Amino acid sequence: MAKSKAHSKKQQKRGVDFKKIKRKIGRKLPPPKNATNTEVKSKAITLPEQSVASEKGGLAVNKKGLTLKELLQQTSHHNPKVRRDALMGIKDLFLKHPAELTLHKYAVVEKLRERIGDNDKAVRETVYQLFKTVIFPSCKEDNQGLFISLTMAYIFNAMTHLSIDIRLMAFKFHDLVLQNYPPSFFLYAEKILQNYENILRKNQYQFYVQDKGKLKSVLAGLVYCLSLVPCNKKEVDSCEKNEAGQGVLHAFEPDVPTESAGFSVIFKKLKDLMPVLADCFQDFVSFSRAMPVLDAQSFDCMLGILQCIDITAKFFIYGTNKGKSEYQPHGVPDATQWDENLSSLLMKKVLQVFPLNPPCHMSEKDDDRYFILNTLVTGILLQISEWICPPAIIWEKFLEFIENALLGKIYSGTRSGKVVWEKHLLSLLPFFPKLVSQVPSNWRSRLLQAFTNAFKDCHPESSLKLACLSTIEDMLIPKEDRLYLDSSDPEILDHQIAWIRELSPLLILLGDKHPSCSQVVLHLQLRLGQCALLNSSLAWEYDNMQYSLLEFYCTCQDDGKLHYGPFIRLPRDSQELSLCCLYYFSNLDSPLLQSIASCCLCPDLEPFMLLRSIEVLHSAYAAGHVKITDYISFSITLLSRFKVLPENIYPVKESDIKMRNHGTYKSVTTVVCSNLSQIGDSSLVFQILEKVTVGQILMKPPLDNACAMLRMLAVLDSKPTRLSEQSIVTLSNFISGYLIDVVHCIPEDHDEANVSFPTLLYYLLPCFFLFDRSHKLLNLVLKTMGSLITATSSSLCSPNCIQYAMECSSRINAIVSVLLFMHKDVKVQKIISAFKAEIVHMLQKILSLQSSEEISMSIEERHKIRRAFDRLKVLISKSSNGIPAI
Amino acid sequence: MEVVVASSSIDGGIGCWDVHTGAEQLRYKTCVSPPHGLACVGQRFLASSQLRDPSANSGCILYWSWSKPQVEVRSFPSEPIQPVAANREGTYIVGGGVSGDIYLWEVATGRQLRKWNAHYRAVTCLVFSDDDSLLISGSEDGSVKVWSLFMIFDDMRRQRSDHLYEHNFSEHTLRVTDIVVGYGGSNAIIVSASTDRTCKVWSLSKGKLLRNIVFPSIIDAIVLDPGEHVFYAGSRDGKIYVAALSAESTSKSNYGLHIINSLSNHSKAVTCLAYCARGNLLLSGSDDGMVRVWDAKTHNIVRVFKHAKGPVNNILVVRPELNFNFQPNSQASSRRHGSLLPPVLDKYRNPTDEDADTTTVIGLQSTCRKSIDPSYFSSHVINNQIKELQQQGSSAAAEMETERLKLECTRSMQMVQQWKKMYENLHQFCVNELLDSDQAGISNGNST
Repeated sequence: MAKSKAHSKKQQKRGVDFKKIKRKIGRKLPPPKNATNTEVKSKAITLPEQSVASEKGGLAVNKKGLTLKELLQQTSHHNPKVRRDALMGIKDLFLKHPAELTLHKYAVVEKLRERIGDNDKAVRETVYQLFKTVIFPSCKEDNQGLFISLTMAYIFNAMTHLSIDIRLMAFKFHDLVLQNYPPSFFLYAEKILQNYENILRKNQYQFYVQDKGKLKSVLAGLVYCLSLVPCNKKEVDSCEKNEAGQGVLHAFEPDVPTESAGFSVIFKKLKDLMPVLADCFQDFVSFSRAMPVLDAQSFDCMLGILQCIDITAKFFIYGTNKGKSEYQPHGVPDATQWDENLSSLLMKKVLQVFPLNPPCHMSEKDDDRYFILNTLVTGILLQISEWICPPAIIWEKFLEFIENALLGKIYSGTRSGKVVWEKHLLSLLPFFPKLVSQVPSNWRSRLLQAFTNAFKDCHPESSLKLACLSTIEDMLIPKEDRLYLDSSDPEILDHQIAWIRELSPLLILLGDKHPSCSQVVLHLQLRLGQCALLNSSLAWEYDNMQYSLLEFYCTCQDDGKLHYGPFIRLPRDSQELSLCCLYYFSNLDSPLLQSIASCCLCPDLEPFMLLRSIEVLHSAYAAGHVKITDYISFSITLLSRFKVLPENIYPVKESDIKMRNHGTYKSVTTVVCSNLSQIGDSSLVFQILEKVTVGQILMKPPLDNACAMLRMLAVLDSKPTRLSEQSIVTLSNFISGYLIDVVHCIPEDHDEANVSFPTLLYYLLPCFFLFDRSHKLLNLVLKTMGSLITATSSSLCSPNCIQYAMECSSRINAIVSVLLFMHKDVKVQKIISAFKAEIVHMLQKILSLQSSEEISMSIEERHKIRRAFDRLKVLISKSSNGIPAI
Repeated sequence: MEVVVASSSIDGGIGCWDVHTGAEQLRYKTCVSPPHGLACVGQRFLASSQLRDPSANSGCILYWSWSKPQVEVRSFPSEPIQPVAANREGTYIVGGGVSGDIYLWEVATGRQLRKWNAHYRAVTCLVFSDDDSLLISGSEDGSVKVWSLFMIFDDMRRQRSDHLYEHNFSEHTLRVTDIVVGYGGSNAIIVSASTDRTCKVWSLSKGKLLRNIVFPSIIDAIVLDPGEHVFYAGSRDGKIYVAALSAESTSKSNYGLHIINSLSNHSKAVTCLAYCARGNLLLSGSDDGMVRVWDAKTHNIVRVFKHAKGPVNNILVVRPELNFNFQPNSQASSRRHGSLLPPVLDKYRNPTDEDADTTTVIGLQSTCRKSIDPSYFSSHVINNQIKELQQQGSSAAAEMETERLKLECTRSMQMVQQWKKMYENLHQFCVNELLDSDQAGISNGNST
């Protein structure tokens, strides 16, 4: 008002421009009496927002040019169309300007929540969509608790509205809230459950029949609510466990509102809810019996009801177990306790009607539906079997149903029927071990038989197989110090053995395509191995498993080709598990060891796994599960057969680096040597090893393998040597050739001596150790070398072990280098000084070779020999003077 | 004096050195111990289980007193025992059998108080928590179980609950090689090592896995540093790895997540570790027969003890009660063996003991030690002691009695002296009196 006055004043002032000129021309006639007053009076008309462009410059607007404030105002307009348009406008605005929402979130929610209980259906729907698609997704990261509390009151209000449609919408809304912020259930559990109870009550029935679709959505919401309560200890534990290893050890727990605080309220409400659900179910059953066909919607409703009952039962069990473990004081009536009344109620209204059968055989789809419902009812019975004892006749009906379900007799033959069957059988399997332990013996054998059949028949990688495996784990491996099945009963034992025998074929069948399934099987196998000693026949069965496992690792086919099993290609953790299983065989036999050895030699196996297998087998040996001869032959096979790539030792080419496994072989050698030195009295071990190793060495393995075996001898030998005379002679022959080859293959770099020298030393050192322990060996080696100087290349072929340095000049050169290296080593130098005559003899031989003109040699070769001669000469003169040669 | 005690799986006896001076002490003879098979019972004497021929159907546990190199007491339990452990006071010895059973004996009487089936396979290590209320056992089958001694002795609760153990940790896939317990009784953390190359940190209060550390090689021995910031893990590749406990390590070091550092000088596998808080020393025993003493701060080797040719597989740091041994007292003479050590451990559980009450009570006066810490004994022992005292059969009681008599005697003598003196005085007085009165009478008579 004030504004308009100001306006009018302004207008008066504006009159200055058109100044009134007063003229006095005569007198005016007085107005006639009947004159009409033509003066028009009006108040000022104000149009505050006439101009569009100027005033809204910085503000966010929607398509229609309205700001958020206006739109919010319009949401409470009395015309539903306007309200809806405003809501659409808000959606549009937020999509255009997301910042607007984050700024005014609380204001917006505060205004919009009023529309939850709107009378117009379209408006409610639009609000729902607005919350669902725009507001909730953008508020994910914020503190939602406050936000939720803003809307909850209005939702509850709408839930108690007279109009059924508004109530249903409110439930829908509530679902949306829960899905976005699950903890809110525990904050408002009492009210929520109360509202569900109210809407499902009997006096609300009218709309069941009319509109099952609506009831279905309500029930779906209830199922979702209930699925939030914890019902399984395992699940809860696994939730907590998954972050192991990340955080700080001694830290405070994050301050999350504990869910269990409001549990007693939930228990109480659920007890009230149970009869309502049971009534509902009973009505549906009688309804469905009257109808010829079970239509999809009533099926869904029944399913929902049964699911709710199932979850509630689970929750009660969880609560009871938890109460037990926490030593609650007795005497106080505990809300978490299951009620006798509930049992009888369920008995009368739900379990009594079992089995639900179609009135007449209609279609396969119908069969499947009834199967699902029956499975759920059975699940509920098994769930609460602790508190309920149905009459024998009903109990038998259930058992028969379970047997038939396991045998797959019930489901329809179609493919979808099989899927349904598998999926729902899963829910029954967890109860199986307990059930079997409780039923009378005739039923027990029938059920076990059915289970064994189901286990054998189902597809290897199906989820049913996995569920069967976990059931088997429960029935084979004692948990909490109790075993469900008594293995002393021969019939049970037969089944258990059948399951165990099924494991390794399953493992092979799974191959490397389903690593997660293989992992489960291997885990079961490991657990079995760990507690196998509990029962001698099971232990025996476990030990026998190793023969069927051959194929899993590696088998040798008739034509001598190796056929690698899935082991090589499995992921690392599965490989580790399978290796761990090996440890628990009380007697690892040589066929399996052979098979593992060939796996170890496979170039595709990771070096880590190779070392790990050696480690595990060593621990198995230490625990007395491997025979010493088997273990030694495993080690020697590993060292002698390992293919070192690339074959030329030095220099390293760039292209070879990828396929290089030289380092791996070195560490394998180190590990094997240290393991062998640990396995017992080293003189005895040496005796066993000596013959085999010398035999292997004589087969002229590549230099790397020869070096490894010499190292092994050196590690196990002591001073003075334990080598027999015969092996000293054989070895001397080999070593001389070996030394020449090594020196020949690793050329001495004069510029970068420190690059090649460590490599060279690695190959030479084992020989030096042997020389230190047996002077005779050195003497023989020197003699052989001497004879090699003059030997013709044709006579070199077989008896000596030179593989590379075949040419005369390079051979002589190599021999001289070897001698030089021997002089560099302090220990060997001491010994070699005793054999000076041999060296002088060699010098003379070279001299004579030089002077003899028989052999045709190029000038270059002659020069080489000349050089070698000079070097040797210097060496001899130095050492005779007592100055250490360098 | 703190000494380091080391034993081996090959007979090299039990070596004993002063940690701080390096002086070698007595070497106790004939000991072939399995890993974790050496224990010091209440700092009073050494006990060790023995490796036996696999065909032997009984185990063997030997005792040595600090002062004598020879074995003093030999017990033969019903099956081969691998690990042994004693509580801090030395009132109980527990042993783990190869069948997976755990035996619990009372040291003072040698009675077998409890035996229970703990694991599916051989027990490999046994540890008491720092307040001695929990026993933690590891086994060949990879499981680690936590037992409460209260539960084990409480028949009522045992019947009511469905399992005897407090926690069962079965995440290890292979044999458990070592376990250590932190401070804090039932709220402590424990660390277990296994042949599967991992060490796992568990919380006793929550009963869950806190941390899993994968090492480059098998860990055979672990020890906690006193602050529980890190633990040291002795591995088969000869290194001692330092793994973080409290710090949150994000970046991967050379060795793997959570592994901060390594100490290395061993040529062969590290088989056992111990920590000496005084001087911050880390001790390690190795397969090559050496015991090395490291400065935990600088990671340098301070001292090396050569134990034997064979692998060292047990080392302990203890503070022996030597006074006790060297005290020539009359008690010894009354003992059966003429030795200071408690009697042989029972082979089987005595069925007649079943009904006898085996509740533990705090010892009023211990016959075998001088310290006045409260120690725990079964009421049986206490009853015996009381009876002994009542019958005055024990030499201590006799001594006390003579002592008392002597005292009484001297006191009586004094009394006698006093009485005599008084008598003399009185006599004198009377005589004087008489004489005076006579004289007076005479004088009176004279006067009257």
